[in-house]
Amino acid sequence: MPDWKKELRKRLRGLKIAPEREAEIIDEMTGHLEDRYQELIADGVEPGDAYKSAIEELSYTDLVEELPKVVPVNHGPAIPIGAASSASLFEDLWRDVRYAGRMLRKSPGFTVVAVLTLALGIGANTAVFTILNTFLFNPVPVVDAASLAAINTTQSKASKEQTVLRPVSFLNLRNYQNQSHVFSSLAGYSELLSLTMQDGSESQRVFGQLVTENYFDTLGLKPALGRFFTPDEDATPGARPVAVIGYSAWRIRFGGAADILGKSIELNNHPFVIVGVVQKGFKGITAIFGPDMWIPSMMAAELLPPPQQKALEDRAVLAFTGVGRLKPGGSLPQAQADLRAIAAALENEYPSANEGQTVTLQPLAEAALGTQGPGLKIGSMMLMAVVGLVLLLACSNVANLLLARASARRQEIAVRMALGAGRRRLVRQLLTESVMLGFLGGICGFFAGFAGCQVLWSFKPAEYPANFADLRLNWNVFVFSLIISIVTGLIFGILPALRTSRTPVAETLKEDARTAGRSLRRIGLANALLAGQVAVSLTLLVVSALFLRSVEYQYTIDPGFQTKHLAAFMLYPGQQGYDRQRIEQYFKEVRERLDRLPGVSSASWASNLPFWAQAQSGVTIEGQEQRKKSEAISTVVNTIELGFFETMNIPLLEGRTFTEDDRAEAEPVVIVNDNMAARYWPNQNAIGQRIQLPNEKSFRRIVGIVKTTDYGSLGEPPQACVYLPFRQKYTDSMVLYVKTQGEPEQMFSTLQSELRNIDAALLIEDVRTGNKLIAQALWGTKIGVSLLGVFGLLALGLASVGLYGLLAYNVNQRRREIGVRMAMGAGQARVLQLIIREGMTLVIGGVCIGLVMSLALGRMISRFLYGVSSYDAVSLVGATAVLLVVSAVACYLPARNASRVDPIIALRQS
Amino acid sequence: MGVPLEQEWKKGSAEMLILALIEDQPRHGYEIGKLIERRSGGCLRFHVASLYPLLYRLENRGWIQGRWVEKASQRRRRYYRLTPSGQKVLAQQRRSWQEFVEAVSRVTGLENA
Repeated sequence: MPDWKKELRKRLRGLKIAPEREAEIIDEMTGHLEDRYQELIADGVEPGDAYKSAIEELSYTDLVEELPKVVPVNHGPAIPIGAASSASLFEDLWRDVRYAGRMLRKSPGFTVVAVLTLALGIGANTAVFTILNTFLFNPVPVVDAASLAAINTTQSKASKEQTVLRPVSFLNLRNYQNQSHVFSSLAGYSELLSLTMQDGSESQRVFGQLVTENYFDTLGLKPALGRFFTPDEDATPGARPVAVIGYSAWRIRFGGAADILGKSIELNNHPFVIVGVVQKGFKGITAIFGPDMWIPSMMAAELLPPPQQKALEDRAVLAFTGVGRLKPGGSLPQAQADLRAIAAALENEYPSANEGQTVTLQPLAEAALGTQGPGLKIGSMMLMAVVGLVLLLACSNVANLLLARASARRQEIAVRMALGAGRRRLVRQLLTESVMLGFLGGICGFFAGFAGCQVLWSFKPAEYPANFADLRLNWNVFVFSLIISIVTGLIFGILPALRTSRTPVAETLKEDARTAGRSLRRIGLANALLAGQVAVSLTLLVVSALFLRSVEYQYTIDPGFQTKHLAAFMLYPGQQGYDRQRIEQYFKEVRERLDRLPGVSSASWASNLPFWAQAQSGVTIEGQEQRKKSEAISTVVNTIELGFFETMNIPLLEGRTFTEDDRAEAEPVVIVNDNMAARYWPNQNAIGQRIQLPNEKSFRRIVGIVKTTDYGSLGEPPQACVYLPFRQKYTDSMVLYVKTQGEPEQMFSTLQSELRNIDAALLIEDVRTGNKLIAQALWGTKIGVSLLGVFGLLALGLASVGLYGLLAYNVNQRRREIGVRMAMGAGQARVLQLIIREGMTLVIGGVCIGLVMSLALGRMISRFLYGVSSYDAVSLVGATAVLLVVSAVACYLPARNASRVDPIIALRQS
Repeated sequence: MGVPLEQEWKKGSAEMLILALIEDQPRHGYEIGKLIERRSGGCLRFHVASLYPLLYRLENRGWIQGRWVEKASQRRRRYYRLTPSGQKVLAQQRRSWQEFVEAVSRVTGLENA
């Protein structure tokens, strides 16, 4: 028979007809030519002549001239034959979607299980991504955050690792504002100030920030009510006591009062008037915890703690961080170079305050995370990796379900192929189904994830709801969920689709639908997926167990001071308008009266709260002045009252503690910890050496050495620390520490009433036990670890459901075989054993791979573990045991079903 | 000069011929070509190169609709049927053709012949 198609293709070539349409046209014309040819042959024409005559019909020019005018042609690059043209793509897609919808509706059980499985995986990812999106990608909800830079003071000679970022002095900031040309606007903000707010007769703790007048404009914010500061409100020190409050503070602390504007409040005993409420969602430019209100920088003397009260006139007081908006086209390195030139000039002009110092710029988003940045980043990335694995598990579960379903659909697929459906077309159809499943799972997962996230975030410390950042659900999260839904659909769909579309048509059609089983190869793929699942979930379980053990260990870490019998009270007499004399008197009286109270061993005061201390730099050692400020000696500085070491059980190693005689007029003294002594006076006695603290004129003599404790966080690397006697270093806000004889909780009411007896007006708002201090220090870690645990269990659940599903399916497919075995005399126990062995072989294979993976991963995460080796036997054995038990149950249930197969019924079915 | 003229004629009338042939029942391309040839006594003949572009054109206009049909032990064929809008067009073309033929006849005096 002549090859008409070849002839036709030759003639149509170059007409650029859309490939699918071209194939149809060729098909149709081939029929015509063949009819004509057969007719001529029937009329007795020689085949050669008949061929010529038929083919001649093609030679008329109409074909080439007319055809492109009436059929869709390709204008883009050629698409290979068999691919769909774009014109019909949407039509086909729509048809596929409708068909997929029908198929999913037809098996609701499968659909529900698959969608829920995916929703779990996608939900977990959405939850973690929401957290990432809020804190890492988008920590400051302001206009064009990318063009904002934070400006801090650093030491000129410090290496990158040693760099400590400190604020800038107010006067230096003014110079940067006036002299720099790289910013369109440059503002400053202080650290978060803990303030006592008196609103009527009620006192409460609030957090405020001093800001320069242009702060809000620099960030591009708008007031929700009222206005921001005017330039004249930030021109004269102490002249205009006004405040702008946050939206959450307005809603929560002021009950959303409509008459909030013009309202008078007292902050640290100074009257202020509220002039505006900032836009919703803005809680300062710190990622996690922000202020309730903002106050013009000119109110510094009124609100800053005593050591910083001269911030406006003293260049040595570093109280403001700069925030600048780069001019369009400006870059961070350029801006830094510009500011460093100004800093160098300032260093020459004011050497006493600026020697050895320069400025460092960083993107505001990075600055917003502060010191928590690296931990948060690593933690989130790890969680993201974990939920990624959970999602993979969910995918492989659904892939297994699809494979199982595919064998049930072999007949349908074969029929469709016999009717002319191409493989490509079939794969597309099957993928449409899986993407649709992914999509449905994505919708459920999106909501589940966000809800889960809210639940998680509700575990944040409840004390300050107005100050913790809100989780932000925005388009990023939505797009993320959408993309992973689709990608997920493709991932779990592709293998089963390819496998299914390879269905051998003729054989399958001949198969009896009932006997259609899974070929060995298909079983092989499902088994491989399942062993992988077991391996991944074991790995996740081991990792969760390791972290769990690590946190458990952290609770037992000795911070270097006693916590069992400790109560800490935060009292701020200075913020309630007390003068120095009265405060000194108060501190003394409290200490003496509590010391005498039954049930109290001792009481003392200190300026630092445990685990909140930050190292300061700028300490100078006598005789080593040349190291001076450019090469920072950084230490924690703690001002303490008498009896502090005794109250905290910190051992004195050498020398003496402070006494009543260490007064202002006596020789300035200091106690250091053994870490500092060993670091700066190796092989010598540190006692009797002299050091100078930043902002101090005279040197202090070291009179004692105490044991190093944890200052900034639990289990931290040892840091240097210096203790100053309260009598030589006045401060108006200190923490009261009480060592009780019994449980500290039982003493709370006695202690509080005693404090009220001493001074009823003082606000006692924050009382913590030593254990609570530890728990709070571990708060972030605990949330991370609980999440990890939840995901580990989720993974275990998914893997066991997958195992159960696969075995149950196999049992069902093999009913006849099992029936035969039983008819031949195999007992129930034998069948039970057969099925369980089959399942557990897979599980043990997975466990072996999982253990290897766990060991490898353990090595990678070992530096985040405290007190637990990454080869921790308890974690490895424990996780393996849990997995084996759960798997055994998942195997037992289908096995039991199998052993109950009635051979007569099973055989009759075939 | 005779050939182009004949082609023009054919083009003008061809659309109507096709519409008329599938008015009562769907037919495939070869059948349509065959019927035109037979009923015109061999006077009118469409070959592949002219018939199919014409069919596709009519289909584009929505006057006819093609559908693949498979019958037992036969190759699949594309059958064309008249759409409702095709029906209207056919009626209209019949009328104007009628008028045209009458006009030509009156002018040339063919009607008396």
